[in-house]
Amino acid sequence: MTVKRFLVRLALGAVPPIAILIVWHVASVGSVVVPSIPAVVEVLAHPFRAPPTLDATSLASGALVSILRVLAGFALAAATAVPIGLLVGRSRTAMDVLQPTMAAAMVISPIAWIPVAIIVFGLSSPATALFGDEAWRYGLLDRVRFAIVAVIWLGAFFPIALNAAAGARGVREAHIESARVLGAGRRQVLAKIILPGAAPAIVTGLRVGGGIAWRVIIAAEIFPGTRGGLGYMIATAHAQASYEYAFASIIVIGAIGLALDGLLHLAAVRVSRWQPKER
Amino acid sequence: MAADAGVIRFQRTSKRYHTPARGEVWALRDMDLVCEAGGLTCVVGPSGCGKTTLLRLAAGLEPTTDGRVAIDGRTVTAPPPGIGLVSQEGSLLPWRRVIDNVALGLEIQKVGRTERRTRAREAIRRVHLPPAVERSLPHELSGGMRQRVALARALCPGPRILLMDEPFAAVDEPTRHRLQDELVRLWQADGQTILFVTHNVEEAVYLADRLIVMTFSRTVADLPVPLARPRDRLDRVFVDTLLAVRRTFAEHVNGLSCDTTS
Repeated sequence: MTVKRFLVRLALGAVPPIAILIVWHVASVGSVVVPSIPAVVEVLAHPFRAPPTLDATSLASGALVSILRVLAGFALAAATAVPIGLLVGRSRTAMDVLQPTMAAAMVISPIAWIPVAIIVFGLSSPATALFGDEAWRYGLLDRVRFAIVAVIWLGAFFPIALNAAAGARGVREAHIESARVLGAGRRQVLAKIILPGAAPAIVTGLRVGGGIAWRVIIAAEIFPGTRGGLGYMIATAHAQASYEYAFASIIVIGAIGLALDGLLHLAAVRVSRWQPKER
Repeated sequence: MAADAGVIRFQRTSKRYHTPARGEVWALRDMDLVCEAGGLTCVVGPSGCGKTTLLRLAAGLEPTTDGRVAIDGRTVTAPPPGIGLVSQEGSLLPWRRVIDNVALGLEIQKVGRTERRTRAREAIRRVHLPPAVERSLPHELSGGMRQRVALARALCPGPRILLMDEPFAAVDEPTRHRLQDELVRLWQADGQTILFVTHNVEEAVYLADRLIVMTFSRTVADLPVPLARPRDRLDRVFVDTLLAVRRTFAEHVNGLSCDTTS
């Protein structure tokens, strides 16, 4: 790409954000609901400062709690969905048993499970499981509530599993047979043929699952009883009319989501580089 | 076992498939064939006559319905050790670079990285690929080069038996001729038993020292090809032999459907 082409693309990409800033500025003039841009920038410029007007921790701390919750649920989803997806992709019986349920569960919004998860897990966390009544002393560990992790897991599990299944199903029989003839057993076929062959689809599933996990966390944190996190900060800022914190949280959510997607995109490029480019 | 080392033996071997459209289909029926150690046997026949099934049974990729296949005197129930399989295009692992494709068999045998790289490079050299291609991915190569890589991969672990399923069918004629010459050169150097399946009569006559004509899922002719090597496709004796085989082929094959339903 030439420098000129790069600059043109950069300029074109900057049009929507600039338009949004203009609309925002116009809407904020004289408004008590829409905060001014400088007020939000002030919040973003001091991410470690606890909001003086809110019953919430700092923006950075909220972001950290949200990230930890997503990482826990997402890691759990990846660890369970990839093996199950590979099984469904390679075993006719497993597919007949699991595929209909997975396809049905996929279309249920994970947000619908939030009340159920709160009923099942209550306020328990790794800290309450390990330290009981002393859990409150272990701040971050206590914020990673099982209910929220379960909802993230549910949200990310199905796209990862279904993509892994499709990837495993798409592995060519000729590749598996060439390894078998060279002496590969089941484990070697899995490690050397099925996993790398399905890797692009698995990473696509991780990317979709990661996006869903990040959206779901905000919804889950807005629910009552889940202290901490960016969703909680938005809900509290709304309830206490400190809208600049709500806006700042939304910007941070967007930035983290973009970074997460960028990382997974890099992983996708890395595992797919053997695929010939479309011409 | 020692007497049967390198021998592929089909004894009244049958294979029946069930297809949703046509019910029971015999791909192979009561096949008796012994491929002697160190021989280059070509099986020629039209599409659908059971040639590929023959190779898949020998490779242990499918069980027989009746009868038996034995390699080195042992009944084949799974891919036996010491065989190499080269099929039509598409069996190379597209995510692996050429050298890692060629070294796959050694990697499966848990040979150390340094040794397997050395042996893979030697195999790449033997099939006349330039050293620079070892870092290429399969889709970056031409069809002919990919088939050379597939041949190098099959040869790399040092098999006693090579099973080849129309390996040169998808490449252009000059490339096919070069690949045939290289196969003969490698076979003469190594002395493997080769069972080579093709629908191309000229290819079969050029390569084989024994030629099996198949149709209706059975052997219909078993012909020695006593031509001296190197063979010349324009030589009178070669052309006469080719015509004779074509005549046999036409008598048994032309105008007939190969698939047999029960």
